[in-house]
Amino acid sequence: MAAEASTTATKAPPAPDTVSLTIDGVGVSVPVGTSVIEAAQRTGVVVPRYCYHPGIPTRPAQCRVCLVEVEGRPKLEPSCTLEAQDGMVVHTASDTANDARQAVIEFLLVNHPLDCPICDAAGQCMLQDYAWVTGQLKSRLDEPKQVMGRDRVADDILYFADRCIICTRCVRFMRDVADNDSLIVAQRGHKAYIDTFPGQDLDNPFQGNIVDICPVGALVHEDFLFKARAWDMDPAQSICPGCPTGCNVTIDTKENEIVRLKPRWNPDVNSYWMCDYGRKRLVMSQRGVRSETPLVRGEADLRQARWGEALDWLADRLRALGSAGGRAIVSADSSNEDLFYLGLLLKRLGVDSTMFTVETGPTAALPGVPKLKLRADRAANGAGAEMLGARRVSRGDLNGANGGGVLIVLDDALEGADQFWGADADLFIYLGTRRPEAARSADAVLPTANFAEMDGTFANWEGRVQKFAQALAPPGAARPAWMVLSRLLARLDDTEQAVNTAETAFDRMAGEADAFQGMTWSGLGPKGAIAPGAPASAEPAGPAAPVANNGRPGS
Amino acid sequence: MSRRVHPAVVPAQPFHLATREAGDGPVLTTDEGREWVETAVSRYPQKKAALLPLLSYVQSKRGWVTPGDMADAADALDLTPAFVHSVATFYTMYNRRPVGRHLIQVCTNIACFLNRGEEVLERFLEETGTHEGEMSACGNFTVLEQECLGACGFATVVHVNEKCFENVTPEGVGAIVQALRDDAAAYPNGAARAVEGGD
Repeated sequence: MAAEASTTATKAPPAPDTVSLTIDGVGVSVPVGTSVIEAAQRTGVVVPRYCYHPGIPTRPAQCRVCLVEVEGRPKLEPSCTLEAQDGMVVHTASDTANDARQAVIEFLLVNHPLDCPICDAAGQCMLQDYAWVTGQLKSRLDEPKQVMGRDRVADDILYFADRCIICTRCVRFMRDVADNDSLIVAQRGHKAYIDTFPGQDLDNPFQGNIVDICPVGALVHEDFLFKARAWDMDPAQSICPGCPTGCNVTIDTKENEIVRLKPRWNPDVNSYWMCDYGRKRLVMSQRGVRSETPLVRGEADLRQARWGEALDWLADRLRALGSAGGRAIVSADSSNEDLFYLGLLLKRLGVDSTMFTVETGPTAALPGVPKLKLRADRAANGAGAEMLGARRVSRGDLNGANGGGVLIVLDDALEGADQFWGADADLFIYLGTRRPEAARSADAVLPTANFAEMDGTFANWEGRVQKFAQALAPPGAARPAWMVLSRLLARLDDTEQAVNTAETAFDRMAGEADAFQGMTWSGLGPKGAIAPGAPASAEPAGPAAPVANNGRPGS
Repeated sequence: MSRRVHPAVVPAQPFHLATREAGDGPVLTTDEGREWVETAVSRYPQKKAALLPLLSYVQSKRGWVTPGDMADAADALDLTPAFVHSVATFYTMYNRRPVGRHLIQVCTNIACFLNRGEEVLERFLEETGTHEGEMSACGNFTVLEQECLGACGFATVVHVNEKCFENVTPEGVGAIVQALRDDAAAYPNGAARAVEGGD
């Protein structure tokens, strides 16, 4: 790419809407209006930055760490606000630029406490990184450091004023992206710190993002404080299951426990952000007692069984029932693969009624990113369930009377159903991550993995199919539902095969389910793809959800 | 002592000329305050622009700006209290706590630093018996360290209320403080806080 770009820079006349420039000896063509820092990124050069963040529209150019040398210009210029121009020759790491950068870093370190051993950001800290890059590893400072202490800016966000370098990313995120003027810089100069109005903490559904964009450890989540070091965590690329938006997230785990969630960039879904509800819900949803062992109906009670034994037992019962008909209840938390394989089983059993229900909750919008909302549904894959033929009903309808035949429940919590629910079915199979009271009459309880414990896909509100990767090992003998169901199918039908990867499951689904026709697992890519059978009017028309609190009185 | 101001000019009184008539009561939400806010707002294309005059007005009536005043100003101008807080803390001449009748500002920036400005500051703190920024128990003195008072040719520079003292040495500090003690009546606008029994 570099060679190709440099020919463009030197020979071919540039298209009128692009400019060509040379950055560190590499030519690059970028659209008119691109800043040099972004143009540099296209050549693979990451110019150090603090105040610049691609997701925040304002560029104050105040941290002075992205200064670059431009040939023919007497002074260094901040590359975040410098617009790329034709023929510009930029040196991002010349001696002059490096010296200036080193001076800036040294200045930032004058009052920085260097408490890296107890700082949550250590290992992911841009001050550490650039201090290392600029190479001055010995302090020339004799004077004592200024001590400012710490403060609480929101119910779960702490502010360590000493670590802060006043890049104002947090203030500008709140003001320019979340349209909330409640977080400000107080004082000025070396006394400056980030603050809210005394006695008024932040109260915005998207405020957690200020912790993610803090380049140092000044803003930290209290529920993550001192929990894990950056290098001890295992990241997994996943999808937030909190609502149908499907924000791309990184799940950081430590010792098979989720310790935090960070949003992951996806310009088509959530940009750089996610809401606080999603953050907290996933961490919380990992708690509680999980279903860990397959159980099958013995003489009277359920007894534990090995997987093979349980599936053999179940296959015998299903064979005996033949095409008995019945009813299925699924969960909108299940992946597309789970739902598809359940659909295959249901077809064999002659079950044509599949329903699900979704709880709803308050909504919230982020004014700076119209697509990103906390949507009312509190499950990730309602669209996928509908695309695979399930019908959305109310909780009351769901818990209604069952007839005979087969009753299969996939991971629905059966809230409100009594303990005799499902007793009238000929065969009641419960596949789920937990075992609710109402599953007492079940003839078989099969423990399944939740989305964080397997690979798979969700379809979001607009039918965008997105992959998520396994972050945790499932508890006990729990396994992904598609894996379990494919093995059950293989016992019922010699032409069926047990599948072992979500990729195989997905590709089969793409071949057989109309809504996913023509898609491939590898074709989904990191950003997902809209399914051919995506719901037409995905977003209900109407006024955008109001911002819960923009901080201004009386609005 | 009265200052004549053109009616179109917001009477932005420096702290030392504050009448302090407001005491602990509200400033911007009284009838007079409301009327004044309306006048101030009418002078600018945006409401926001009236914020500095509003804070100055509050300070002229109270001598300092309370968090309540900031919330009132925010209310009047459709801003968030936090934004007003940031503005009020950015400008060092808004006092965010009560100051003594004599506000002593000592420069310790480079020129004054080289001319023993820090010693001068120390001496002022000793003479008045206060810490930097706090008000002496009798309400007479507040000593502040300032970055530059704009008279570097005459370092060390000290402002006492509206008066500027040049070439101040640590040895001269005692005399200045004594003069202020003797001359308590020289600042009638500050008389709301009567001197009772000295320090």
